[in-house]
Parts: sequence; structure tokens; C-alpha cells
Amino acid sequence: MADDFRRRAYRQMSNKKRFGMALSVFAALALVLTACGGSGGSDNAASPASSSGSASASVSESADGGKPVNLIWYTIGTPQKDVDKVMAEVSKYTLKKINATVTMKMIDWGDYQQKMQVLVASGEPMDIIFTSAGGFDYVQNARKGAFLQIDDLLDKYGQGIKNAIDPAFLSGTKVDGHNYGIPANKELPQQWVWRFNKNVADKYHLDIKGVRSLESLEPLLKTVKENDPTITPFVMTKDFVPYVPYDYLITNMPLAVKLDSTDYKVIDILETDEMKQALETMHKYYTAGYIAPEAATTGSTTDLERAGKWLLDMAQTQPLADNLWSASYGYPVVSTPASDPIITNTSVQGSIMAISANSEHPEKAMEFLNLLNTDPVLRNMVDSGIEGVHYQMIGKNRMKNLPESKNYDMPSYSLGNNMILYLNENDPDDKWEQFKKFNASGIPSPILGFNFDSTKVASEMAAVQNVKEQFWSSLMTGTVDPDTYLPKAIQQFKDAGLDKIIAEAQSQLDAWVAANKKQ
Amino acid sequence: MSNVQRSGVKTRTRNFQQITAGWNVVINLIAGLFAFLCVFPFLFVAIISFTDEKTLATDGYRIIPAKWSLGAYRYVFQTGDMLLRSYGVTILVTVIGTIVSLVMISLYAYAISRRSFAYRRFFSLYAVFTMLFSGGMIPTYIVVTQLLHLKNSIWALILPLAMNAFYVMILRTFYQTSVPEAIIESGKIDGAGEFLIFLRLVLPLSLPGLATIGLFSTLGYWNDWFNALLYIDDPNKVPLQSMLMRIESSMQFIQQNSANSPISLAVLQSLPQDTARMAMVVLATVPIIFAYPFFQRYFVQGLTVGSVKE
Amino acid sequence: MIGSFLRGLRRNQAMLLMVLPGAVWFLCFSYLPLVGTVAAFKQYRFSRRGFLYSLLHSQNVGWDNFKFLFSTDTAWIITRNTLLYNIAFIFLGLVCSVAMAILLSELTNKKMAKVYQTGMFLPYFLSWVIVGYFAFSFLSMDRGLLNHMLSAFGAKPLQWYSNPAYWPYILVFVYLWKSVGYSSVVYLASILGIDRSLYEAAMIDGASKWQQVRSITIPLLKPIVIIMTLLAVGKIFYADFGLFYEVPRDSGTLYSVTNVIDTYVYRGLKTTGEIGMSTAAGLYQSVVGFVLVMISNYVVRRIDKDSALF
Repeated sequence: MADDFRRRAYRQMSNKKRFGMALSVFAALALVLTACGGSGGSDNAASPASSSGSASASVSESADGGKPVNLIWYTIGTPQKDVDKVMAEVSKYTLKKINATVTMKMIDWGDYQQKMQVLVASGEPMDIIFTSAGGFDYVQNARKGAFLQIDDLLDKYGQGIKNAIDPAFLSGTKVDGHNYGIPANKELPQQWVWRFNKNVADKYHLDIKGVRSLESLEPLLKTVKENDPTITPFVMTKDFVPYVPYDYLITNMPLAVKLDSTDYKVIDILETDEMKQALETMHKYYTAGYIAPEAATTGSTTDLERAGKWLLDMAQTQPLADNLWSASYGYPVVSTPASDPIITNTSVQGSIMAISANSEHPEKAMEFLNLLNTDPVLRNMVDSGIEGVHYQMIGKNRMKNLPESKNYDMPSYSLGNNMILYLNENDPDDKWEQFKKFNASGIPSPILGFNFDSTKVASEMAAVQNVKEQFWSSLMTGTVDPDTYLPKAIQQFKDAGLDKIIAEAQSQLDAWVAANKKQ
Repeated sequence: MSNVQRSGVKTRTRNFQQITAGWNVVINLIAGLFAFLCVFPFLFVAIISFTDEKTLATDGYRIIPAKWSLGAYRYVFQTGDMLLRSYGVTILVTVIGTIVSLVMISLYAYAISRRSFAYRRFFSLYAVFTMLFSGGMIPTYIVVTQLLHLKNSIWALILPLAMNAFYVMILRTFYQTSVPEAIIESGKIDGAGEFLIFLRLVLPLSLPGLATIGLFSTLGYWNDWFNALLYIDDPNKVPLQSMLMRIESSMQFIQQNSANSPISLAVLQSLPQDTARMAMVVLATVPIIFAYPFFQRYFVQGLTVGSVKE
Repeated sequence: MIGSFLRGLRRNQAMLLMVLPGAVWFLCFSYLPLVGTVAAFKQYRFSRRGFLYSLLHSQNVGWDNFKFLFSTDTAWIITRNTLLYNIAFIFLGLVCSVAMAILLSELTNKKMAKVYQTGMFLPYFLSWVIVGYFAFSFLSMDRGLLNHMLSAFGAKPLQWYSNPAYWPYILVFVYLWKSVGYSSVVYLASILGIDRSLYEAAMIDGASKWQQVRSITIPLLKPIVIIMTLLAVGKIFYADFGLFYEVPRDSGTLYSVTNVIDTYVYRGLKTTGEIGMSTAAGLYQSVVGFVLVMISNYVVRRIDKDSALF
């Protein structure tokens, strides 16, 4: 029986023996060959060309003699279909002006942080990088050496930038005294407002004008809660922090300096009277039912807001924000200020274009950035695409998107000077004037331009960060009783090493003040 | 125990081996209940994907939605050929990947399952070690792009997942338990070489093991989005999961960027967020559900193991 | 000496050729990148000249990067959580998967068994984000199903996401729900590899079904069970990030029972992004797993040489 089986199994003995050897050797060879070949995949060390023709390699020498330079620009956003097409047009323009061509590589929102870190760490060739406070963090990576210091380049090739954008942007984005990127000229200060669902507010005749402080919300919240239990009076996500007049050294960490401080003292925000009072008010609101029970774990409230089942929330504003919000929700939204407009590190670092530390052509990159931030033709091409294809002009400074624009839908805030963009169909004529006025009204925070370097206290930072994640949301949303939890949290922070961090921050701040503030 | 020898290799009628009817009912209940628990959330996801987005905000998630709608699917499919292409990419990568993976893993596992292989301990440890230690994303990225030059290549989606020490060890165990040394000995007596023994004798006996690893491998390739994130920029080579994630994030972006958008207001407001997300889960999962029945066919008893006299 | 080594190579040449593709793969994709682990001892800074250069020239900081894993009370809590959960997962996962595999293999109606198996697989395809949504639909304070049922029975609705007491059970249940389908495939395939004649012989000897299972099926599953357990032990310091982050919705009040090493590292490094520290954490997890595997493997080897990993 077994013999039959075996005889059935082996037909041609000796040939097969060789075959098996060959199979294995072949498999190994295939691996090696693939390594050397790589089916047409671009060898990234050599040419930086993207999938469908960048203008670089085939361009002949231009008028001003030198060989044209190809700049590689990494920016954030879902990769659009027409990016290469538009960049080809952009390159024609920049070739004439500065003898350079541009290749743009877009990396999707969710991937940006991780992918950029890998690309930068592996030495991938690139010239211009988008960065911000939070999206491939500007300060962090500047300190790690990802970006080039551009003080001299700015002076030599970036005069246009210096004239075009608000000086507070440039001074506010200094890291350890040097500039590492060009911020986008847009709204400068951050201002918190209370937003109201106008329909609900009108229905119950609520007086919006008299509202400013957290406490002043109470009568409005009470009325709505009593009259309509299906509406959430006070909407928030787990990132909500009640406004107190302090600036945080690092977003979402409890180290802060008082806004009108003259002594630049760094304190634990949880130990301040203002925060204690705010947290008590929040808890009062929570127990009264004005806040959704699961606010401390809610990531997004867009669904609730789109359904219109809310009265108020807190948001950051910019000029014409009410129109934007009303348009996106489909019903009127109005707002009143909850704070003054303050210029903070976070507000100036919302969108920055940096030059990569390993860039082969930093001067050209700066020239390009200079052009981008001053020349409306270039800026609008980058933003909206090709005139006649993606958009058309309907006025001297006004444009309208054509249906093709869905293949080139770009995040304007990340691409440079916003104030030289053309106006949209529904924008008021004085849109950019309003922005300028808003920017001028901004009050600089005392620590604007100071960026805490946490390397010496890295372990404590990790421990403190975990404590923060544990206690922050439930305290800030009023979910827990501050009488019991606030002291607990303060103690836990201390145990994790917050005092050491504060001491380190204080010494750095004192040094910075001595060096920078001519009092 | 095995002094009973039967002739013939056909599957026997096993009436006398079956469990009683009573137990059968109980087991059916247990297995059925658990299976239902597993399927139900997925069904729910599918139902949500066919719900009208607006009713989500008013009613929340409902088993029987107030209003049915194909809006989510319409939205996802409007990317048209890009989505189809990503399906194609994923299918190609999965099929080739599973084959490459099976070849490499089965050879390796077989070699280390053989007691006659002097270096089996070394190579077993060599494999297991890689399961425990990892160099991280960045060095791997450098090896793939700078050493192997696989950036933007389909092989960057296939090769990084080709070997897996976990699968190797599982398959090794299958070889050890379902292929008796006697069969191999008899092969050697007949003068067959190692490869021949492997191909003709061992493989047919280890089908369930191969099918298991094949299934796992297929699933791994189908679900992978991470390698595409790192290595693929070419929009023609983006696999399914990555494509779906891009659709989702661009949807969020459009919502936030509404002022500049050419999309009309009415459309913007009914932009299917949650329903589209669920639709994408359905689109990504339904094709691969068929993988299990496919590999199931090979979960058959080993042939004629009983034909070997101990 | 060289001579005998070369002779050994010749003798084993067929086997060596078989392991060659896999070994080369491991070299490229697993061993070469290990260079990156050096970052655990450095304060990593980017450099113009690429990764290797940065590694070599970043400042050496000795063991500093590891401090945050041990310095506070929380550090011990996360270690405890990780260990306890993994032990529960390994043990319960094993019992449930093997039991399910045995049950499925005994069902009379094979078609139904296939249907059940396919169904049980589905949770594997749902991402943790989606599973999190589901958990939320059950556990939500005001709209969750559980609270609805509780109030229907007159009991007080609970704030599930604020009360740590129930979460160990919830997390273990969710883990089992998601993984049993997948793991039971391995055991099912093993059961199919068992010689049917063994069962017949036992039947003839008068053994009941349960006795058959106890004395044939389970012992013959021993090798695969041991291997699976040993491999799981290697990962005992790793936790499935999605399970512990998405399902509890990152709720701070639950941290005492839901914070594990992986989530702790993620949260701790969000602001600073120190590559050295995250590499250090990974190295720590790897080394502990490695030591445990070596010890367990040694113990297993003493008992039954063939069952060990290496």
C-alpha cells in the first residue's frame, strides 16, 4: 500500500532532484534581482521626478545662464489629481522669474506627521517643507535639526517677505533666537468667541450681547435646558479648556504665564484662582445637565452641530468667521468675544514653510518663497490652479471656481501669504482689510517667541503628559468635582515631576527675558 | 492502538463517529450564538452605510433606519476609476504576495522541521528573534528605499510582508505533526532528493497547514495600508485601504474648507461622513470574506496517514 | 575544523537552499534595520547626511531614554496592566480558541460549520476605531443599549466610561470576540490533520466522545498549543494599541486599568516626539519578551525536546 503510494509519487526521479535545487536558487535570485531592478520604481537618491513628468530634466538652460534648479516641495493635504499639471504651469512661470522649477509632493492629512518624520530622518532630498505647531511640529523639528536656519537667507533673498507679512509673524516664530521658516500671512492673533445657534437663541429671546465670561452664560443655558431637553446647551469636545487669561508654554500642558505678567513667572495653571473658579463653574454646569454627559471622551461634535441641536460652544475666530460657519452648517451662527485677541506662539505657528536642512539649493528655495509670498499670480496659481481650467476671473481681484477645481482643491492656509489671494465670489471687498485690522488689534503674549526646550526634562515630560491625559479632560469639561479631583491632579503632576519641569522652564524663560526684552 | 488497519483511502461514512443529536443542537447553539455576535456588528455597519446621513444626526444609529439611501456609496464611487484601480492593485498585490509568501515560508519551515537538518536550531532562533526585536520604521524605510530601491514599486507592497516568523513556526509545527518521519524515510529509501520529497510527499499531507498560512497571508496583504503610506506616491499604485483612507480625510477637509469649495451648499450639508466611513468598511471587507471559503476547501484530512505501519 | 564545517554545509545543502530565500529576507527586512536600536541610547537629532550619520553623531545619553519607563508609580501600573492583560489573553484566548475549534470540528452539518467559521472571522476585519464606536453604542451613558436595558429592569444607568471597575472584563471580552475566530483556524487545521483511525480505534474500545476528545484531540494539539503559547509569551510586553486606546475612548478616568506600555509611550511622547525614547521603549519590550521566551523555551526543551521553539 505504502509502496503504491510512493511509486505513484515519483515519476521522473533524477530530473526532479535538479529541479528542486533550481527552484530554491531561483527564488533567491529573484529576490536579489528585484532588489537591483525594482519594476521601474524611481530611485529616489537620483532624480526627484514624481510620477508624471516634472519640468526639470527636459528643460533647457534658461536665459540667465545657470542650469535651472528643481525645488522639491513637501506639503500637506490629500494628493490632488492635477498637482503635476498645475506644477508644470507654475514651473514655466518660476523658470522665467527665478530660473527654478517646482515639484510639489502632497502627503495626506493623517499621514503627514509620520511620513515626514521618516522622510526627513532617512535623508530624502527635499527643499521646502510645510510645518506647523502640531503638524510635524515646527519647534520640535527645528530643534532636532530638520530645518535650515534662514536668518541670513531672509535678509539676502527674502526682503519681499519681510515687507509683505506682519512682522509679528517673523519675530514670533523665532526658535532660540533664529528663524527656521516663513509663516503664512493670515490671521495673526487667536481670539476665543462664544458661538450661538441663532435659531435657538432667537427662539428663547436670549441676550447674546451681554455674554463674555464663563459665568455669564448661566442664564442662557438655564433657559434652554428648562424649555427644551433635547438640545445640548453647552457643546464641547474633550479638548475644551475654559478661557483663563494665561498663555501656555506648551499647548495642553499646565505650565503657563499670566498674560499681563510683569515678572514672567511660570506656574501650574491648576493652582491658579482663575482656573479653580472656572473649573467649579464647569462642574456646576455639568451637574445641572448643560453639558453632554460624555463630553470628556467626545472627539467630534460636528454631527450634533449639523443637526442644530445645540445652543452654544467656544471656538477660535477670524474675520468673517460667522459667515463661514453659517455657510457650512446651513443655518445662521453668530458669535461674541470670549477673550481679547492675543498673539501667541501657537497662533503664529499655524502654518509655516521651512527650508530643509539638507536642501541642495537653499538660496533658490528662499527666492521661491519670496516670490510666492509677494507675487499674486504665482500665489493664486499655486492655490487655485490654472486660470481658465480650474478657475476664472470675475473681477479685478475676484475669482470663481470652475467645476474642474475639484481636481485641485488645496488647503490655502498652508501655501503662503493668504492676503494676496484673489477674493471669492461671496467675499466682501474689504476682506483682507478686515484681516489686517484684526491682526493689528492683537495683543502680544509676554512669552511670544519663547519656545521651551524640554530635552533636559524629557522623562518628566513623558510622565507629566500621561497625568495630563488622565485628568485634564474630566476636569476641564466639569465631569468631575474639582474639590476632590483638583488637589489629586495637582499632587499627581507634582509626583510626575512637574515642579522640575517648571524650574527648568523658569530658568530658560529668565534667560530669554534677559536677552530679549529691553525693559 | 493502531493495530487496526483498513484498506482504501476514501473518506468513510462516519455515522458511528458522530456526536449525538442532543449535543449537536447544543454545539450549534453555542457556535451559532458566537458567530452571530461576530457578524452582527458588521451587519450593523452595513446597515448604517445604507442609511441617509441626515437621519443619523436626528435618530442616531438605528437598526432599521428611518430613511435608506445610497448616498454614501455614490460619494465613494465618484472617485471612479481611482477606486477601481486601487481594487486592482490590492488584488494583484494580494495574489502575488500570497504566492511568494507561501513559497518562501513553506520552504523555510520545512527545512527547520527536519531533524536531519544540522542547523535547524540556528535557523529557528534566527526566525523567532525577528519576531521579538524590531529596528523601527526609519531603518526599515531606508533599507527598502535606499538599499533595495523599491520606492513606488509594487514590490514595496509585496516584499515587506513576504516572510513572517510567526507563520513559519506554525507551519513548522504542522509539518512535524502531520508528516510522519516514516514517509520521509521511505522516500529517501527510494532515492528521492530532498526537494522531491518535499514537493511530492510532504506538501499534499500538509494542506491544512498551508491553507491556514495562505489565508493569514492573504488577509495580511489585503488589509495592509502602512506600506503604501510609506512607499507609494504614485496614485496609480495606491492600494484599496490607503485609497479609502484618503477619501475619508479629503471628505473631512472639504467640510472644513466649505467657503472656498465649488461644491454647492446643499451637497455640502448632506456630505455623508459617517455613512461613507461605514460604506468604506463594507467595500473593503466584502471581497475578502470570500477568502475564507476559498481556503476552507483545503482544510481536508491528511491523506493516508493511516497507511503507514508504525 | 573548517573542513568539517564545509562538509557539514555540503551534507545539508538542500536544506540550506530551502532556507536561503527566507534567510535573505530576514537579513534585509529584520536584521539590517536593527541598526536603528542604537537610537535608544542617543538623543537623536536629524542630520544633513542621512540616518546612519545622525545615529553615529547624535549625543550619547546612556540609559536616560529608559528612565521614563520606570520613574513614576504610573510606570509600574502600566507594566502590571500589560502583563496581567496579556496573561489573561494568552490563557483565555487559548482555551476559547481550542474549545471553539473542537466544537466546530464536531458539528454534524459541515456546511453550517463553514458558515459559522466565516462569520467568526468578521471581527478581524473591523478596525479598532469601528469596534470603539460599537462599544460606545452599547456603553454610552444616555444612548447606550446597556443602560437602556438596565433602566428597563429598574436599575440605575451607569457611567461606563468613568468607572474603571468593569473595564478589565470589558476589554478581555472584546479581545476574545475579535481574536477567537482568527486563532481557532490554526487549531481547526491541526485537528483536521489528526489521523481518523485513532478515533475509530478509540470508538471500538468503547470510549465516549468526551473521552475521545480528552485523550486524542487535546494531546495531539499539544505541539501547536505550546508553540502558539511560546510565541505569545515573546510578545507579553506588547499590547494591542487599538484595543486599549480606541475602545475605552481614551477616557482619562479609566487609565488605572486601561493604560498599558504602548499607550503610555504614545501619550508620553506626543509633545516631545523624542525618537530615542520611543526606540528605548520598544527595546525594553523586546528584551523582556526575549528573556521570557528563552526561559520558557528552555523549560519546554527539558520536558519535551521536540515541542520547543528552538
